[in-house]
Amino acid sequence: MKSFIEKLNSKYVLQEVVYQRDDLVFAAIKKENAIDAITYLRDYEDFTHLVLMSCVDWIEDGKYQLLYLLHNPILKNDIGIKVYIDRENPEMVSAHHLWKSIWTYQREMHEAFGIVFPGSPRLKENFVVEGWDEIPFMRRDFDTHEYAEKTYFPRGNRKSNDPAEYMRKKLYPSQPVTAKQRKDDK
Amino acid sequence: MINKFLGFTPKKEMLPSQTVTPDTEIDLSSHKYQKIWLGPNHPGVTGNMAVELTVQGNTIMKAQTHVGYLHRGFEKLIERRLFVQGFPTSIRMCVAEPDTNEYFIARATEELSGYADAVPEYANWLRMLSLEMARLQGLLRGVPGQGGTFALGIGVQWGVYLRDLILDRFEELTGARVYHMFIIAGGVRGNLPEGFKARMEDNLRDIDDFIVKIKKLMFHNSIFKTRAKGLAVITPDMVDKFGIVGTNARACGVKRDVRKDNPYLYYDQLDFDPPTATDGDVYARTWIRWQELIQTVDLIRQIMAKMPETGDIRCKMPNVLNWKIPKGETYVRLESGRGEMGMYYVTDGSDKPRRINLRGPSYNHAISVLEHMLIGADVADVHAIMVSLQTCPPEIER
Amino acid sequence: MNIKDILTPFTAWANVVKEPVTIKDPFNREAAPRYRGFHDNDIEACIGCGTCEAICENQAIDLIPVDGVETKDGDSGLRPQVDYGRCCWCALCVDICTTDSLRLTNEYTWIDTDPDNFIFTPGVTPKSWYKKEEGWRKPGNGYEFYSKERVDMEELHAEERIDSFIEFVKGYSKEQAEKEADRCVSCGICTATCPAHMGIPEYIKAIRNDDLEEGLRVLYETNPLPEICGRICTHKCEDVCSVGHNGDPLSIRWLKRYIADQNPSEKYKEILNQDTSKSNGKKVAIIGAGPSGLSAAYYLALLGYECTIFEKLPEAGGMMRYGIPEYRLPYDQIDKDVNYILELGVEIKYGVNIGTDIKLEQLGKDFDAVFSGTGLHLGRSTRIPGTDNENVYFATDLLREIVLGKDIYVPEKIVVIGGGNVAMDITRSLARLQQIKYGKVDCTATSLESEDIMPADREEVVEAREESAIVDPGWGPKSIEIENGKVKGLNVVKCLSVFDENHAFSPKFDEDNKKFFPADMVVESIGQGMDLSYLSKEFKEKLKFTERGRIKVDEYFQSGVEWLFVGGDIIEGPDVIHGIANGHKAAVGIDNLLNK
Repeated sequence: MKSFIEKLNSKYVLQEVVYQRDDLVFAAIKKENAIDAITYLRDYEDFTHLVLMSCVDWIEDGKYQLLYLLHNPILKNDIGIKVYIDRENPEMVSAHHLWKSIWTYQREMHEAFGIVFPGSPRLKENFVVEGWDEIPFMRRDFDTHEYAEKTYFPRGNRKSNDPAEYMRKKLYPSQPVTAKQRKDDK
Repeated sequence: MINKFLGFTPKKEMLPSQTVTPDTEIDLSSHKYQKIWLGPNHPGVTGNMAVELTVQGNTIMKAQTHVGYLHRGFEKLIERRLFVQGFPTSIRMCVAEPDTNEYFIARATEELSGYADAVPEYANWLRMLSLEMARLQGLLRGVPGQGGTFALGIGVQWGVYLRDLILDRFEELTGARVYHMFIIAGGVRGNLPEGFKARMEDNLRDIDDFIVKIKKLMFHNSIFKTRAKGLAVITPDMVDKFGIVGTNARACGVKRDVRKDNPYLYYDQLDFDPPTATDGDVYARTWIRWQELIQTVDLIRQIMAKMPETGDIRCKMPNVLNWKIPKGETYVRLESGRGEMGMYYVTDGSDKPRRINLRGPSYNHAISVLEHMLIGADVADVHAIMVSLQTCPPEIER
Repeated sequence: MNIKDILTPFTAWANVVKEPVTIKDPFNREAAPRYRGFHDNDIEACIGCGTCEAICENQAIDLIPVDGVETKDGDSGLRPQVDYGRCCWCALCVDICTTDSLRLTNEYTWIDTDPDNFIFTPGVTPKSWYKKEEGWRKPGNGYEFYSKERVDMEELHAEERIDSFIEFVKGYSKEQAEKEADRCVSCGICTATCPAHMGIPEYIKAIRNDDLEEGLRVLYETNPLPEICGRICTHKCEDVCSVGHNGDPLSIRWLKRYIADQNPSEKYKEILNQDTSKSNGKKVAIIGAGPSGLSAAYYLALLGYECTIFEKLPEAGGMMRYGIPEYRLPYDQIDKDVNYILELGVEIKYGVNIGTDIKLEQLGKDFDAVFSGTGLHLGRSTRIPGTDNENVYFATDLLREIVLGKDIYVPEKIVVIGGGNVAMDITRSLARLQQIKYGKVDCTATSLESEDIMPADREEVVEAREESAIVDPGWGPKSIEIENGKVKGLNVVKCLSVFDENHAFSPKFDEDNKKFFPADMVVESIGQGMDLSYLSKEFKEKLKFTERGRIKVDEYFQSGVEWLFVGGDIIEGPDVIHGIANGHKAAVGIDNLLNK
């Protein structure tokens, strides 16, 4: 695996290479070279099986990270190609010509993260949500709790107490308290 | 009516006036075509999923899968939960074999936090036992279920009874029947109850009988043979193109099995060889699953014979309430009854996962593969094709 | 088509004559013994720590007050209420329960017409399934959600420590501290029991996050003497620790010490970032530089008061310096805490004796308010025959003299009367001095209380024995044998019980069971008294006193005289943490008085 990665590195510059297991390597490739590298891996290195395409939202870096996880059925090992794309203008070259299954992933990414894959078939069709008018729901800044509170109707017959706070109010209400508690009380 | 089930040959004028390919242009305004929806009601369809069919006569010209009826954002919800809290949610992503998802979360968190080798041996054997039991109960529903799609209901009743017996064993071992919540980061949540092996052996003997009976009922059945043979053929060149895995791939001669290719737990210590066939049609897929049924019963016997009598069930790990995992990512996979399942797990150094993404076999099988297979098929065969691909909508929507 | 394929499926008809497999009575099917059904909670054992609520992934659990369960030390008085509209019966709440009180029974049928009934309090709301023994309980076989074992503290061995006064508890390393901090379930039950109500879960969290500067800030919110408390606090918090119900309690004291130890004193000012340069123009006098006085000075200084501490002895610290031996609390650690308080602008005048050098009334006139924390520095005598001999000492006097560097009398055989921490301190100090002087130890401590009810901390007794001192409890002192004006030893009789049925002090003895401890010196350590001689007679009349002879104070430690606040050992305790708490509260009281 190591020599193969070195070979790949000389062809396409790899970053953040992590040997996660003996049979699993993750590496980042520049956006421009990614589809090229994936095609090369599929056609010349026997990584014929697309296991998964996924996306991670690194909101603090302003990046989406796409993952193309490829499996080599002959050597029984996997390589995860990571591609960082801009979060503001998320766009990635479509790979629907490489595998018959990948357009579904791209359709899901579009719905769940708002990533655009120009040319990908049925990209703008609803995948799992219908009539969605919030921000794409898998983004980190979409708050499921807040959404549930405002969309559904809590019965409102429940109330909980924090043990330490409750004991303070019960047992030593006049004790000078910490700055934080003072702020909470106000 | 009976004609239909005995292999019905449509009259010539009912056949489509053109050869159907995925690229065929369909002009709905020509009144030659009709749109019908199959689903999303559950009976007859594998889970709440809809297939939008455009038909001409009995022949399907175009099919589109619609999912979303079960979407509750499980992956997103798990991002909001502590590492230990994730597994009760994860199991809802796959009703047929929930144990696989428990295993993924446990395995991924162990691997990323450096406890992968610390899991006690006894716990790993129990994990294997519960995973094989899950495969068994899935097959007990799946194999006769294929007969059910051709209106052969009796086998389903036998299968459901035997599946209930396995659920009884699950109840005894894990404390629950369907959603077991048994495999947890670091190990499992219970030891093997006293007398479990004997009771399991009783059930396995019943299943041995069933295997013979179902063979006579389905595989020596002219109706089943007529309808299933040559139906919805998967060819080996489709396998990589569409990402086909598991029994669907093995039925057309592509021998891929994670248990053999990338062994996990102690599968390398068990003696088995995944069955394969060459036809790649509905019949072959069902036949492979029937053989897997025999093999799974054998694997459970092997596991019960090889596993240690007792031991620790969980390794020492950090306090679950304060558990943080350094930044990292991994992909863990296993062979479920329906094929390769896996989970991409990303951590960012906090006490909650950054992202989890389940790779279920149905994601491809129920969308790109099914849509491709249905073109040109008969409306009456849609259920059979769906069940033979073992589609499971919850794992598509997550 | 094969004829066989047409006929074979008919074999299924064989089932017609088979016995049905249906369950005869599906409504009363007993679930498996491990089945996860409905909740039950042992209300007596539960302490309302809320870990079940914290781990519930569905937010199905609330903590609510329950009739008949009182909020007290170690019990929040809250009990979990479960919402079955959200519960998924995963039983994580059972697996983490610190007291093992929560469980799931194997009952699984419940029909009700009112949905609100499915929100119920297990163990309180009457339910038929509580009588069921079977169901899910916390699994064994090495299954635990947090470590039950405390991380051992490294100490010097008895042989290494016996011949010097070097501190023998080494303190946690980073790795050890983080491992110990990881055991905390952050319930916060301990905070109520701590006299100073320290933010214990918060500073333990700071250790886990390796943010010790934040930890120090949390400590100084409620305790300006963390180095000292991190070593010699009586750690009442650890007695109520929820983790301790099923394993060792958290080592809260050592964790506090770890935070204080790791922050260098030069950085305190920068880390704590407390500005005291703005004075509010008011002045407060504080009598005694012990824990309560220092604490009061610290909090008053933060509020902008000019504080002057009057200390009789040459150095600050009070009983912490002059009562606690150096091997438990090194002087440089006292200095570290005291110096930070001095950096805030607090002034200490050493060698000033209130009552003789300056009258208390004078202080009242010169300052806007006075806080007095003069402590318990007088020894108490057993008053048995022979105590008037010159070689019978009080423990407090000896301890003070050791610190002051005086040459004290150390004979070859010593007996100490008393079973408290002070008795252990003097026994172990004298044992060290004997070792240095004679190369061997012959020091016996005897107490009225038997081993199981000795007031000293258990570890003190164990460590004293490790250091070759003899601890022989359960004897009542009768007389000191004197021959030719010299102490020969101590006569004791067996003590049968110390307290009567009403828990009042009333010792009973077995007069026939006698023992004699030969000794050249006897040390009495049966308690300390306060020295209130600085209060003039007229002044005393203005004050109110409790039945036990203590000065009566209100909630904010204000005495009968408006400008005089009193706190520390003479009011509560005796221990350091009560003193700190008193000083903090008195500071608030003084602020309320002067800023009306």
